[in-house]
Amino acid sequence: MKNEWVYRMSGNLRIRIVGKGLERLLNDFTRRGIYVWNVRREDESSLTCYMFLRDIRHVRAAMRKSGCKLYVLERRGVPFWLKASWKNSGIVVGLVAFMCIVFLLSNMIWRIEITGANPAVEHTVRQQLKKIGVERGALQFVIPSPETIQRTLINNMDTVTWIGVEWRGTTLYCQVVEKKQPTQTKSNTPQHLVAKKKAVITYMFVEQGQAVVEVNDHVVPGQLLVSGFIGKEGQTEIVPARGQILGETWYKSTVVVPMKTTFYMLTGKKRETHYVRFWSWKIPFFWNHKEQFSQFEKQVDERTFRFLTWTLPIRYEKVVWREKEVAVREYSYEQAKAVAKQIARDQLKRQLPADAIIQGEKVLHEARENGKVKVEMHYQVIENIATPQPIIQGD
Amino acid sequence: MIGKWKNNMRQWLTNQMELPADVVADLPRITMIGHIHIYIENHRGLLLFTDRELRLLLKNGQLLVKGEAFSIKTILPEEILLEGKISQVLYLEE
Repeated sequence: MKNEWVYRMSGNLRIRIVGKGLERLLNDFTRRGIYVWNVRREDESSLTCYMFLRDIRHVRAAMRKSGCKLYVLERRGVPFWLKASWKNSGIVVGLVAFMCIVFLLSNMIWRIEITGANPAVEHTVRQQLKKIGVERGALQFVIPSPETIQRTLINNMDTVTWIGVEWRGTTLYCQVVEKKQPTQTKSNTPQHLVAKKKAVITYMFVEQGQAVVEVNDHVVPGQLLVSGFIGKEGQTEIVPARGQILGETWYKSTVVVPMKTTFYMLTGKKRETHYVRFWSWKIPFFWNHKEQFSQFEKQVDERTFRFLTWTLPIRYEKVVWREKEVAVREYSYEQAKAVAKQIARDQLKRQLPADAIIQGEKVLHEARENGKVKVEMHYQVIENIATPQPIIQGD
Repeated sequence: MIGKWKNNMRQWLTNQMELPADVVADLPRITMIGHIHIYIENHRGLLLFTDRELRLLLKNGQLLVKGEAFSIKTILPEEILLEGKISQVLYLEE
């Protein structure tokens, strides 16, 4: 026997039948296989009952013969409900659309706040952000994570030392620490030029001032190179000495390179799992697990969703496992030496100003000890050795 | 003559094989739950139904159920489930 639930779900009608011979009609219904329930007599010539919508054609046929009249009192069940909800669907659609819009707007960037930067730098920061798709109106789950933004910005901008990127609601805060750019102003205060390093002068170009040393002179730190006093004795003038004094300087560096190194290398294979998180439940919904890696780097990218001011307990999480493998690098003695030289050179270059030229290099000493190659290098460098020294006038 | 013999045969079968009488003798089976439900199987059609009275046709005679606030919960060609406050169940022989 069917239960109440089935009645509810399928379309059914509450009907009133008016006429004579209602018992005969009920017998006729049962014979035709029409199922009726909750039959109640109202008075002499009418009764109410429930019937299925699907039996309506058979009921019509039975009614025609009996001469009774049928009135529908109530329509119930899913088909009628659907019909009704179709009529009211405008409201539902509107409501859903509204929620969607609020949801989308809640997850948008509305403001990018940049602090600690002057207008020019701020402008470049904004442009850089725009380049990676971060601008007003961008959806938060489409743009990269703050860490990535931060890294990209720092790498792409040479006028900043550091940028902190942080999400707070619909605002992206960028805190910029600018590089202190040396002010390239021509000083007009009286000054001498003195040597900043021990060197042998190779080239001199004096713009202003009186040179006191010559090419091939050996100078020590602090030694006067170009004097700010010009003119004959007795009638000297004080000027800001300017010029370019190149000298040969020397650097020594020692580099140790192990001949055998063990390190991890990513193989490029990865597997990903995408999770939806409800509170603390993690439900994977997409994954490509083909193989298990014995050694891997795990990377977790989590995205939250907001609705108005609330952070929804539903999160999206992407976990990437990148396979890594142990790689052993072995150098021969010659290779290790070459690498050591290269490292020493790179280190030196980093330390020197951009306009310095490495003129010559010499291996002072090379040794092989405990599986390592130790190389001591000597470099000859041509660089600007002049540094201004203000003339403080006494009396 | 043959009808009587048939009836006797049925009676004998019921007694001997301990079969339920309704199965063998085509009698109505009536189940009552207190005075609120009455379930009648093997009827032959509805004769009268009001909120105080239900009259059913049986193979032999009629069944009359009296009470108050009757409603037919289910009606099938041979079964009927009546709900209400039942006070009397009567057999009317033809």
